[in-house]
Amino acid sequence: MWEMINEFSKWLGTTQLSHNMAGGWKWGWATCETLHFIGLALLIGCIGVLDLRMLGFAKHIPPAAVHKMVPFGVAGFAINAITGALFFIGAPFQYVNNIAFLFKMLFIVIAGFNILFFYLGGVFKQIEAMGPDDEPPTSAKVVSWVSIIAWFGVMYWGRMLPFVGNAF
Amino acid sequence: MLDFFQALENTGFSTWIRESGSIWAYPIVLTLHTIGLGMLVGFNWAVDLRLLGVGEQIPVLSMDRFFPWMWWGFWINAASGLVLTIADATTKMTSWVFGVKLALIACAIIVLRQIHKQVFVKQSSDGKALAAISLVLWILATTAGRLMAYIGPVSGLVGTSNN
Repeated sequence: MWEMINEFSKWLGTTQLSHNMAGGWKWGWATCETLHFIGLALLIGCIGVLDLRMLGFAKHIPPAAVHKMVPFGVAGFAINAITGALFFIGAPFQYVNNIAFLFKMLFIVIAGFNILFFYLGGVFKQIEAMGPDDEPPTSAKVVSWVSIIAWFGVMYWGRMLPFVGNAF
Repeated sequence: MLDFFQALENTGFSTWIRESGSIWAYPIVLTLHTIGLGMLVGFNWAVDLRLLGVGEQIPVLSMDRFFPWMWWGFWINAASGLVLTIADATTKMTSWVFGVKLALIACAIIVLRQIHKQVFVKQSSDGKALAAISLVLWILATTAGRLMAYIGPVSGLVGTSNN
């Protein structure tokens, strides 16, 4: 499988888009980095308010209401998935074989499964039915903690990318 | 003045932060700076979005509870930012982009305090205009922060290649 990933990465590096990201577009990389951090703040803030409410903070807010912030968190994630993919295309060998990148992706997968459990495991239904001042169920608290730890993990390993494994 | 920045940069602490290669030096400080950004800007944007009409079922005043998290983010970033500045004092303190970043943050914090005062304490404004300004100021401040790695005097790791 590593063979395949290596071949694919080599091919990615030969594409026009890769050359554009790696210097062809003078401000391509810097613009994507900027957007990546704006997406980060949007995700952490708009998912974080729901996480905190489900942990029992800001109890006057009905959870269904604070859930209206989630689409903006998803927009933040979308911005970061696109700009992240562009970084990978621009410099694939900064990321493949980089243990920090592997961990970053692992934490994103953990966050993803946590979201699936939230919506499909019945937690969202319980939350939606809650009024202001209701104490959240344990399942919601667990989902919140996993969410917070997972996204902090993503930020930590993202920051480690240039320092661990093959440096930039 | 440059002598002073030089001296700051040459202290044992600065050198350790910059060059030790320890996970607990530059990498952790930079991670904290990222997490603080997420908390301060993220929760500030959530409040801004609410004031601009997103999630109208959220009682505005109840969002008061998110302000302490923003201030935690602010102080984490003031402290980690100070360490990062000292570690590369000669480049950071002579970078005009850094000056622009600090000015934008100062404006964004003033606006945040105004939002708190006018919308949450005095309840004399719906805060829509302030929220819009706040949203834009944080976009500009984040942009200036990122561009410090690309414009003007640059320290640390730069550049990329696809080879």
